Amino acid sequence: MTTLLELKDVVVGYGRIEALHGLSFSVEEGEIVSLIGANGAGKTTTMKAISGLLNLSKGSITFDGDDISKVKAHVRVARGISQAPEGRGIFPGMTVLENLDMGTYGRKDRTGVKEDLERVFTLFPRLQERRTQAGGTMSGGEQQMLAIGRALMGRPRLLLLDEPSMGLAPQFIKQIFRIITEINEQGTTILLVEQNANQALARAHRAYVLETGTITHSGTGRELLSDTAIKEAYLGVA
Amino acid sequence: MLATLFSLSAALPASVSTDNSWINFDVTSLLQNFWPATFDGLTFGAIYALIALGYTLVYGVLNLINFAHSEVFIMGCYGVVFTLTSLGFGPNAPNLSIWAIIFNLILAMLVGMVFSVVTAFVVERVAYRPLRRRGASRLAFLITALGASFSIQYLIFLVRGSNAEPAVTMFIPTPIFQVFGAIIDSQQLTIVIAAIVMMVATDQYIRRTRVGRGIRAVAQDPDTATLMGVNKDRIIVTTFVIGGILAGAAALFYVMKVPSGVIYNGGFVLGIKAFAAAVLGGIGNVRGALLGGLLIGVIGNYGQLLLGDSQWTDVVAFIVLVLVLLIRPSGLLGQTLGRSRA
Ligand SMILES: Nc1ncnc2c1ncn2[C@@H]1O[C@H](COP(=O)(O)OP(=O)(O)OP(=O)(O)O)[C@@H](O)[C@H]1O
Ligand SMILES: [Mg+2]
Repeated sequence: MTTLLELKDVVVGYGRIEALHGLSFSVEEGEIVSLIGANGAGKTTTMKAISGLLNLSKGSITFDGDDISKVKAHVRVARGISQAPEGRGIFPGMTVLENLDMGTYGRKDRTGVKEDLERVFTLFPRLQERRTQAGGTMSGGEQQMLAIGRALMGRPRLLLLDEPSMGLAPQFIKQIFRIITEINEQGTTILLVEQNANQALARAHRAYVLETGTITHSGTGRELLSDTAIKEAYLGVA
Repeated sequence: MLATLFSLSAALPASVSTDNSWINFDVTSLLQNFWPATFDGLTFGAIYALIALGYTLVYGVLNLINFAHSEVFIMGCYGVVFTLTSLGFGPNAPNLSIWAIIFNLILAMLVGMVFSVVTAFVVERVAYRPLRRRGASRLAFLITALGASFSIQYLIFLVRGSNAEPAVTMFIPTPIFQVFGAIIDSQQLTIVIAAIVMMVATDQYIRRTRVGRGIRAVAQDPDTATLMGVNKDRIIVTTFVIGGILAGAAALFYVMKVPSGVIYNGGFVLGIKAFAAAVLGGIGNVRGALLGGLLIGVIGNYGQLLLGDSQWTDVVAFIVLVLVLLIRPSGLLGQTLGRSRA
């Protein structure tokens, strides 16, 4: 396996407040890697650093062998990093189809786009039914599907998912995680940020635990699931 | 001038007779000239609308009122006047064939657009982009916008002095047809049709093209737009450039209508009215700018007739603006580019 993404001693701050204190972890090609942690641990900050919305004050991010720390955010998308952001980021004034189309903004291959649209509609039939509806009027779960579908429209090599299960009903959560596994089996590497540690660990090849800006545990999903300290802190098991 | 408007009561004893009203409403004049005033107002309104689009587009993507846009417009006017003067145009209409005139006007418009676009581009680069990089506050942007506006005005003042440019007459308007007894002339027709064509083209560009989608995405959610691969900086420059192109077109039509109206601070009043038009229609809304512009133009003319003095054109337009905002705070058509369906 080759390393697709590697963060080395990444420090990111908001003004004078440091949110990530020297974060290091990696994602191998073909994996699902989960990053779990409590509120305010720095998960979203990590995602924004990878996609380029936030600058590093120290450290480096390597993607597919190239240092991308200084590469502009919109160029990273073209390199193959797509994100379904926290809060979904649906363009409220655009239809479902227009939102999906935004995912292809940097692409030039029209035929590939068509294939990907079919793939997304196969994964999420609901999106096809609702394709002319305004994004802002979709339900929370539907918006999450749209956010993931839209990220897939960029045909990414690395898909970043920031809390895809947030605010969803239990059976919906199961469905979303099933689809995440399916996307991964179709060949997309996934970095998954979650508070729903149970599902995230069960689905992941490997996982990291983030606590106030530092990695405290790492291992395979299974290992972390059976770790007593993690059970107590994240899985609601005493 | 104002004395004719106000039946000054100072000289009278405290008991003022009721027929000696404070402001005389000249309803007869309004009714007699209603249609000519309407069509003339639409012509001015089309010019306001073209300028208003520049405010609205930049506001849509940056949430910034680009006060320097009035100078983007007046620079376009200088481009138009310089070109026409060097082509031999002067205070009297030239003795040229219609095709030669059309050719010259298009040339002048293109130069006007270049002047406006360059100004808009420089303002964005020099004034706003450095602030964005530093994540400056809204207040800093506002002050900078005002500063940019004044800086350009005084730069023009330094180069061209305090006098207006000599008049350039493009052609003598000829009557084309009559509507409700009002004569529509070739000038009015040219301005209104050309302006509407340009605004429809802009609207379609934003609705249908890839860059247009980028503009709408940045307006709705800049961070997510970036995550889609949209180059936000380039989109922002694009909106300044589109605003500049439309301001350059407005410049040609303005000089056509007001041949001796090009002066260093001449952008100010038009800019304010265009800005009012943008707010009236719903700032950030492309179609709203058109509607707002036409309304401000027409209402201003009615106000002038009703109150009998051109000073009132502006006041009446702004009273209407305030009333509309009291009832619909987001303007007549709301904020389409940003929030609701675009
Ligand atoms: N824009 C900001 N300005 C200042 N501090 C911020 C900003 N965004 C996040 N932070 C801080 O950075 C830390 C990490 O935030 P982050 O959003 O990355 O957490 P998270 O792990 O995603 O939490 P959650 O599970 O609640 O989404 C928090 O302490 C937060 O308050
Ligand atoms: Mg978060």
